[in-house]
Amino acid sequence: MDRFLFPRWVNKFVPLMFGVVLVGAAYGGSVLFVTTSPQILNRGYRPEQPVPFSHKLHAGRLKMDCRYCHNTVEKTSHAAVPPTETCGNCHSGADSSGATKYAAVHATSVALEPVRESLATGESIDWTRVHNLPDFVYFNHSAHVTQGVSCVECHGRVDKMDVVQVVEPISMSWCLDCHRDPDGHIRPADEVTNLAWGTEAGGNEMSDEEKRLLGKQLREELNINPKTNCSTCHR
Amino acid sequence: MPENKKPKYWRSLGELEGTPEFEQFLRQEFPEAAEVAPTGMPRRRWMQLMGASLALATGAAGCRYPEEEVVGFRYPEEEIAPFSRRPEGRIPGKPEKFATTLTVAGKACPVVATSYDGRPIKIDGNQLHPMVAGADTYSQATLLHLYDPDRSQYPVIREGSSENKRSWDEFAVWWKEQSKKLEGGNSSKLAILHQTNTSPSVLTQMNEVAKKFPQAKWFQYESITGNTTLGTELAFGKKLRPLLNLEAADIIVDLSADLLGSHVTHGVNNQGFAKRRAPEDGPMSRLYVVESRFSVTGIAADHRLAVAASQMPSFIADLEQKLEAALESGETKEKPAEKIDIVITAMVNDLVSHKGKSLVVGGESLDAETQARIWRINNKLENFGKTVTFIEEPKLARDNVGTIEELAAAMNAGEVDTIIFLGGNPLYDAPADVDFIAAMDKTATQVYYGDYETETSKKSTWHLPASHGLEQWGDAIAYDGSYCVAQPLISPIFETKDPIEFLSLIAGSAISETLEAVKQTVATSFSSSVTEAAWTKVVHDGFIADSAPEAVSVTVNDSLDLGEVSVATWRAGLGTAYELIFHPGAGTYDGRYANNGWLQELPEPITKVTWDNVVTVSPKTAEEIGVKQAELMEVSANGKTVRLPVYIQPGQAHGTLAVGLGYGRTHAGAVGGNVDEDIAPVGVDVGPLRTKASMNLATGVTVKPTGKEFKLATTQDHFAIDLLGMREIGRRVEELVREGTVEEYEHHPDFAKHIVHLPPNGDLWEEQAWMKESYDGHAWGMSIDLTKCTGCNACTIACQSENNIPIVGKEAVSVGREMHWIRVDRYFSGDMEDPKAVSQPVTCQQCETAPCESVCPVAATVHSDEGLNDMVYNRCIGTRYCGNNCPYKVRRFNYLDWRASDHRFEAGNQELAKLIFNPEVTVRNRGVMEKCTYCVQRIQNTKIEAKADRRAIGPNEIQVACQEACASNAIEFGDLNNPESNVAKAHANPRSYSMLAELNTKPRTRYLARITNPHPWLASEVEDHHGHGHGESEHTHAEGDHADDDHAHEKEEEKH
Repeated sequence: MDRFLFPRWVNKFVPLMFGVVLVGAAYGGSVLFVTTSPQILNRGYRPEQPVPFSHKLHAGRLKMDCRYCHNTVEKTSHAAVPPTETCGNCHSGADSSGATKYAAVHATSVALEPVRESLATGESIDWTRVHNLPDFVYFNHSAHVTQGVSCVECHGRVDKMDVVQVVEPISMSWCLDCHRDPDGHIRPADEVTNLAWGTEAGGNEMSDEEKRLLGKQLREELNINPKTNCSTCHR
Repeated sequence: MPENKKPKYWRSLGELEGTPEFEQFLRQEFPEAAEVAPTGMPRRRWMQLMGASLALATGAAGCRYPEEEVVGFRYPEEEIAPFSRRPEGRIPGKPEKFATTLTVAGKACPVVATSYDGRPIKIDGNQLHPMVAGADTYSQATLLHLYDPDRSQYPVIREGSSENKRSWDEFAVWWKEQSKKLEGGNSSKLAILHQTNTSPSVLTQMNEVAKKFPQAKWFQYESITGNTTLGTELAFGKKLRPLLNLEAADIIVDLSADLLGSHVTHGVNNQGFAKRRAPEDGPMSRLYVVESRFSVTGIAADHRLAVAASQMPSFIADLEQKLEAALESGETKEKPAEKIDIVITAMVNDLVSHKGKSLVVGGESLDAETQARIWRINNKLENFGKTVTFIEEPKLARDNVGTIEELAAAMNAGEVDTIIFLGGNPLYDAPADVDFIAAMDKTATQVYYGDYETETSKKSTWHLPASHGLEQWGDAIAYDGSYCVAQPLISPIFETKDPIEFLSLIAGSAISETLEAVKQTVATSFSSSVTEAAWTKVVHDGFIADSAPEAVSVTVNDSLDLGEVSVATWRAGLGTAYELIFHPGAGTYDGRYANNGWLQELPEPITKVTWDNVVTVSPKTAEEIGVKQAELMEVSANGKTVRLPVYIQPGQAHGTLAVGLGYGRTHAGAVGGNVDEDIAPVGVDVGPLRTKASMNLATGVTVKPTGKEFKLATTQDHFAIDLLGMREIGRRVEELVREGTVEEYEHHPDFAKHIVHLPPNGDLWEEQAWMKESYDGHAWGMSIDLTKCTGCNACTIACQSENNIPIVGKEAVSVGREMHWIRVDRYFSGDMEDPKAVSQPVTCQQCETAPCESVCPVAATVHSDEGLNDMVYNRCIGTRYCGNNCPYKVRRFNYLDWRASDHRFEAGNQELAKLIFNPEVTVRNRGVMEKCTYCVQRIQNTKIEAKADRRAIGPNEIQVACQEACASNAIEFGDLNNPESNVAKAHANPRSYSMLAELNTKPRTRYLARITNPHPWLASEVEDHHGHGHGESEHTHAEGDHADDDHAHEKEEEKH
């Protein structure tokens, strides 16, 4: 058999082939780049929890303060997930004699079974971490909350979430955005857990400009100068 | 190297002689062998393997968390497990501190332990206690044992050749049966051997055991002991403990006591001594040291004499005679001719002219007669009640406690059927002429209670695990006689029992609550009414204030007859005879810390040897014997021979050899050696050379060189600064460590600054406006006082514990891969046979114009606006350019993953071992550079706390780990912008100087020049080392006419 040769007219497809490969690589690359960015990776993450605790119900409708449960937020780096005992204040089941506290809420609810079990056995409830940072990042809740950076700045309107999800990218550049220009993110320290502050629902609607002005004023009063040194967060 | 080119200061004989090995360390930032994987694998092969595993790792996990489950590119899912019931006052993630008491190397150490979420992560000294200053290396490193997977985890019974796991209940049942056999008259068949006891509650339980077994025989053995109480008994007729007050002493004569190093109260000694060694704070004290081997006290000494150990009694008798003569006829006015005579005459003159303000201290291992003589000298100098007081020896053992020889004799005579060991390891450390193994074979049953499997426990019927000091309630009597309590920070990790529980079990009335037993002791012996509030205070403080006994007044026996001691022999020297000193191993003590990697890897303060014991000899003796550095030598004493590597130690007494104890353990564990698991012992066991009569010193020693070379892992030449090279470049480069005498200081306080002529070269960079403005907030700085530093290494261990620094092992140390962030340099100067020495801790200097920063291609090391040279581990790609460009050689590179599962020192139970980590500091990975950060985690946490409280940070509020551990307060840290801070004051001190200031690095760490206080007769000798041809020009600078060469300094001054 004769050697097979491509006809000459095929040659004009060769540059096209290069083009296809280049465009394909560029497409693949950008898809990889975009999908691995914290914007895409972190935002919208909403794992299921062992107890379907609703922040919308407790923080939103019942207007419980964030610090009722996350009571270490002003004292240390962790805004600790509360001990089961805190849940048990309202949701305790029957005690050893079989009597249920008069004030107990949903004392027999199936969804609250893990809570009653934890109370009875002393074992932890294993919650799934929603907002996660790499181990080489040292974020400190108290440093922010005591200076008037509200929960809502990083966690969003948790009081409107049935299942908590990540709303911000939680990336280093996002952290730095605020550390470089904190004015719009500072409010009076006693309003940090009022997630609706500055909106109509919070009863004191403010424009972004007004918030910035107030933030600037507070920052100067309290001498708040967030650092952007590496060692501020990495040790 | 020709004589005249010898560097004035030298760190090792290698440097002095310019050996090829030293040259190699000098020329290359990382010596040749450091390129090779530790198994001896060639680099090419290593890369091939690594390439393969890298491909595998990326393919399988596709992320940076290979060990955890990862969904796509997200971080691994983590769980949060909160308490079901959170203890009151507990804040998750907030470290808490608790006062407790550890028994370390046979003595009670009041400590403060830091607990992070329920696990102890650091041990510091309890500064509330009057006998505590800083924290020594042993007590800090005992933390490592808590999480050591080699620690005994459950009771074990040995039946024939098989070892079986048992429970405590099974032991209790067995013991009940066994005690029936030992009832009444049969109780004489029971023997109990214990170590030095520090706890009154344990003594109570011992008495309970004695009640149950009235005829049982009690024995006590400690391989390292002294004759202090024998000495006081001889001198005063009472068993007493001397309490020294170095702060009150103008003249201190240390006769092989090693006051600042291994002495029983070295912490407070350092503190008191340091208070008198700052020339700006008043008159300095003067320290004379007469010793056989170089000690850290020898480094601190103003004058030092080397006298052979066996001739110390002769020297001391001579000293007494000369003192008596001087007390009668006054000081000698004429300066003698010989150096030895000058020193001893100066010493005598100083002592008689400072009656009541002097102190003469003898070493514990001196014989009782000599110690009595030293007390008589102090009496003549009227020092009692002033610089030394005495308390009665607290009673912490039963009466009529036998010795180990008596025990062996009883066992050999078949009088012992059952023996109980309360800790200790007699099989390893009993005198060689007491054949303990043979004696033990004559007993039917052996019960060993202790925290580790040892040589002894391996031969015992039962091994019962003891709790760690941080896992138990307990109590102890501190050196000053005060009552200290121990509280648990964590419940026992393994199936262990504390000694009080164990003894009560033996006594047949098992106590379940040790706390109650301790409270009982307090109620009966120390306080009539224990209120809850009082008890809370005791637990909070860790001791009962004012529980120390009153000092007793003493009178020296009139009839004290110390026999005839020749006053001349010490001058003659040993001639051709050799003798061998046995001293506690720097890391191992008597062998009980052999499995502690932190201590094994800590360079011995003088020799800088790690992971081995060596026999030190003086250069002259080495020449006589014909041995070279690191050559194996056969040392024979008392009919036995061992082979030891030689270390030629300048300044050692001729003919005196010295070797550290506690090495060569065959059943210590994965770190210290375990022959059952094919892990070679660390170092050489010199136990066979020690007999009853020669536990501290063997005479009539013979030696034989073998010609075989031994590989020692010393850190001595590592990270050397290229001084030789620099000298070639220009004469202006002077020494890194600067010294002067008080006289020089008074005449010219800032002499240290002018030792180096700073060249008139300007910055390469133009000083920008922002560079000046940037340090307006905090400006962190450190000051290290070389006058106070003794080189004891406490800072290195504190740093290791605080900053999660790994252990790398002997092989890695010998190729210069040790990871310690603080390197304590030790320089010798002067004559090789009679050198002076100085220690200088070097750590990251946090340069304002840091050379490391400008060469990093990925900006992994950058400057913060508070002047810290930040190291960003997660950015580092391991080019090592920074380490190469650092003139101080303080950067450390992780050549391997020291935490990997196949790494010997961190392997085993990794889940357990990683509990020791300080969660405030990132654990570094392989291929990452690291270095001192000024404990940035402490800075940040204090800043956050202060900010939340809306207050300013106190001038000395932040304490870094090394500073906390330093007994002599040589290290100061703080904000240079706060004039109230100690560090700002220290930087303003005229003695302050920057290391390598001529490189214009503007370091934030500065040193205070070392000031010595020599006797005027001997001052010139010191001054000789400081002739640098400064002369007239120097003085003109001092008067304010700053010439060009001071330019750089001026600028530096302005900035602060």
